[in-house]
Amino acid sequence: MIGVFVIIERELLALLRSARTLAILVSVSLVFAMIVILKWPSSGVVTAVLDQGASNADLSGMQAQNVFQWLSYAMLTASIVIVPVFPATSLVTEVRRRTLELLLNSPLSRTSIYLGKAGAMLGLVAMLMFATLPAMACCYLMGGLSFTDDILKLYAFVGFVCTELVVIGMLVGTYCRTTESALRWAYGVTFAMTVLPVFPDFMFPGGTSLISIGFQWLKLISPVSAMMQMLNLGSVGGNGLMESRDTLSWYLGFATLFIVGGSVVCIRRLSHALLDQARSQGIITDDQAQWVRATRRVLYVVDPQKRSGGILPFVNPVMVKEFRCRQFGRMHWLIRLVAGCAVLSLLLTLASAKGTESRGVEYTGALIIILQVALIVLMTPGIAAGMIAGEFEGGSWNLLRVTPLTPGRILRGKLISVIITLALLLCATLPGYAVIMLIKPSLQQQVVQVLNSLILAAVLSMLVSATVSSFFRSTAAATTVSYGLLISLFAGTMLVWINRDAPFGNAVVENSLRLNPMAAALNAIQAEGFQSYNLVPSTWWVCGTVSIVLFVVLYCQMIRLSRPD
Amino acid sequence: MSDSSPVIEIHELSKHYGEFVALDRLSLTVERGRILGFIGPNGAGKTTTIRILVGLSRPTSGYARIAGADCMTELPKVRRLVGYMPDKFGSYDNMRVREYLDFFGAAFGIPRRERQKRVAEVLDLTNAAWMQDRFVESLSHGMQQRIGIARTLLHKPEVLILDEPANGLDPEARIEMRNLLLRLAAEGRTLIVTSHILPELSRICDRVAIVAGGKLRAFGTLQDVTRELSQRRTIEIQLLSSTGLTATADRVKSRLEPDAEISISETESIIRCRTSSKDEALSELLCHLVTAGDKVAQFREVAGDLEEAFVSAARVAEAERAEKDGGDWGAGRPSVSEVSR
Repeated sequence: MIGVFVIIERELLALLRSARTLAILVSVSLVFAMIVILKWPSSGVVTAVLDQGASNADLSGMQAQNVFQWLSYAMLTASIVIVPVFPATSLVTEVRRRTLELLLNSPLSRTSIYLGKAGAMLGLVAMLMFATLPAMACCYLMGGLSFTDDILKLYAFVGFVCTELVVIGMLVGTYCRTTESALRWAYGVTFAMTVLPVFPDFMFPGGTSLISIGFQWLKLISPVSAMMQMLNLGSVGGNGLMESRDTLSWYLGFATLFIVGGSVVCIRRLSHALLDQARSQGIITDDQAQWVRATRRVLYVVDPQKRSGGILPFVNPVMVKEFRCRQFGRMHWLIRLVAGCAVLSLLLTLASAKGTESRGVEYTGALIIILQVALIVLMTPGIAAGMIAGEFEGGSWNLLRVTPLTPGRILRGKLISVIITLALLLCATLPGYAVIMLIKPSLQQQVVQVLNSLILAAVLSMLVSATVSSFFRSTAAATTVSYGLLISLFAGTMLVWINRDAPFGNAVVENSLRLNPMAAALNAIQAEGFQSYNLVPSTWWVCGTVSIVLFVVLYCQMIRLSRPD
Repeated sequence: MSDSSPVIEIHELSKHYGEFVALDRLSLTVERGRILGFIGPNGAGKTTTIRILVGLSRPTSGYARIAGADCMTELPKVRRLVGYMPDKFGSYDNMRVREYLDFFGAAFGIPRRERQKRVAEVLDLTNAAWMQDRFVESLSHGMQQRIGIARTLLHKPEVLILDEPANGLDPEARIEMRNLLLRLAAEGRTLIVTSHILPELSRICDRVAIVAGGKLRAFGTLQDVTRELSQRRTIEIQLLSSTGLTATADRVKSRLEPDAEISISETESIIRCRTSSKDEALSELLCHLVTAGDKVAQFREVAGDLEEAFVSAARVAEAERAEKDGGDWGAGRPSVSEVSR
């Protein structure tokens, strides 16, 4: 047991000493304070109004409940965005620095090491929760909230979700070899276990088929539906109706199973085997028997073990290198990506058709746009944020500098490799829009505007990530900052839009939305809440200009980094 | 360019980082086909010099030229002339060795067909052909060193600058590496090699430069350098027989400075002295022995080794730094006047 505390002390102190943690804690405090300020009743302090017995007193506590709901969602979002980073990178870093070897050779048991690390992460979670306390205290002072039934329950729930996220991160950390892939997988798995399960039921609500029932059960593993029930907000895809099942209990049950199971797997994997990984022997199909080659050709179409040819003339070698050294950049993976996107496209098409029947074209269009932008924001930093920082981290930047490649050629090669991947992703969603145009042909012009806005969103995301990458020497840091900036850009401006009635006026909201190409797309499709703004083409101009500025900064950085020190 | 003409010229090269002087007016030249061993303690200025030579760093003053091309103003030319292997390998994930070399070949603009031939050649040359299909990140340090050398050879550079090439190699691989470097020099390539494995360097280098504290402490052939930097020289006096060896040793001791170290090997009939005496004093000693009737068969100076010279240079640098700092950092260590001749 002492061992657990030794690890907790070491890990937690190291975490709290880092500037990154301080920045996160300060940001969380500021964001929560901002939410309270934005949602504070415009008529003054509620209790003061009550004392005077004024007619506009919020006797039902609705305003406080409203702020509380906002804070609850913000806490869940902050947990999902922040918590997985730390456990996922912790183990990978230990393996890479070979400090795990020292730990495993100490008298500490594997369980102690695991519990110590998990405990330290939960200590950080506690710090994050402390950072939200002032905002929550203000919310409580507004009245209408129960300390035990609302606030304490919320903190206990978020603490539980964070425990699940810590287990996800730790588990991912035992499978990944680089911090970059650990980050990508941790976010991917977190997204798949928290946000993704609610989408199928949301898109295809209320069916009685086996698939629909499956979707209804699937959402029970997500904390989102559990939190909605806890806040009395109905259920996802329930069109305002309350869920008949106790989603909170179901979620807690599933999550407990995952936490226990995940911890057992993680402890079992926490051994010397993590450090003692076999080196690839470089098996190549070309050197194998005829029948093996033939079988693999049939099975793989593009065999990943086939000896690749040299880089073709007139092709940017950096672009080829970027694809080859990316985990999913090889041709066989690109084919899988295209196939996956085609399936996604079919699902979106189906969802468009079904959604249009029940909710209208604009609503469905808006959903697809949000889903696409979410995908862009999730994918782009993973591909582009390591573009230059990764070269520094791997020590290969100096090797590139001593080749005759010009900074412009290096940059072109790197950007093209990202553009091609993002283009594949965007193209896969086109059939969904085709269905929309088929149902409502008058929307053709709007759909073109939407596509333009989405292309701009992809370009902007790419340039933000790439520019950030040029200022960092570590991929993990560049990726985290890129995620932070993109989330601020796409979600932060939407926060202003959400407060469009008060305190922000129409002009402020419209100007903020001009920074967000997703808002332009939503405006083009005339989604609810966006009809009153005139964002196209002004958003294109603003985002285009920002993109050009970012490109210039990136290019200057490339020249600066390539020049002799 | 004739064989004796310098391929690498460094003149009064200085590099300052704010107040800190990383390089202080370093000058040296290396002729074609020579192997220069570039040694010095950590933080001596070796990497700074190398980075300036390959165009990764800009000097504060002075200049460096490779085959006549200025390392600051003619970078594209320098990049084609130099093959640089840094101390860090520079790995890419998910890339096989052949693809890795193919990429760098393409980066140097080698046409595709020629590139494939060239990759096979350099893999053969470095005895690394068997690992061509392995992933670079899965290679051991020693294997990566070989691939690093192969990469530097791809574009057939005139000058090779290798930072710690023998680091992490097993003894067999080290012998192979030594032979490879000698072969490359014999082909007319000029090499600058840094290493902390001094016996290894002393076996391949025909020129040695020792830097410490940003200054060039010694430069020349191995013999010149050791003689220049060694504080004490080793003299061997061999007698015809071991009879009277102790008496002769006493006579030798009486003629040398009090702290001279004297040892006797009866089986070899040799008296070994480590002394700081100058040539004149040694000449007088020989005369004295002959006059005293000692039957001297040989009176010779044994060449000092690189390690001793290295330590000596490092001490000078430390002492200088201590004097500059004005503190007691160098207390207990010899002063500049003590260690330099």
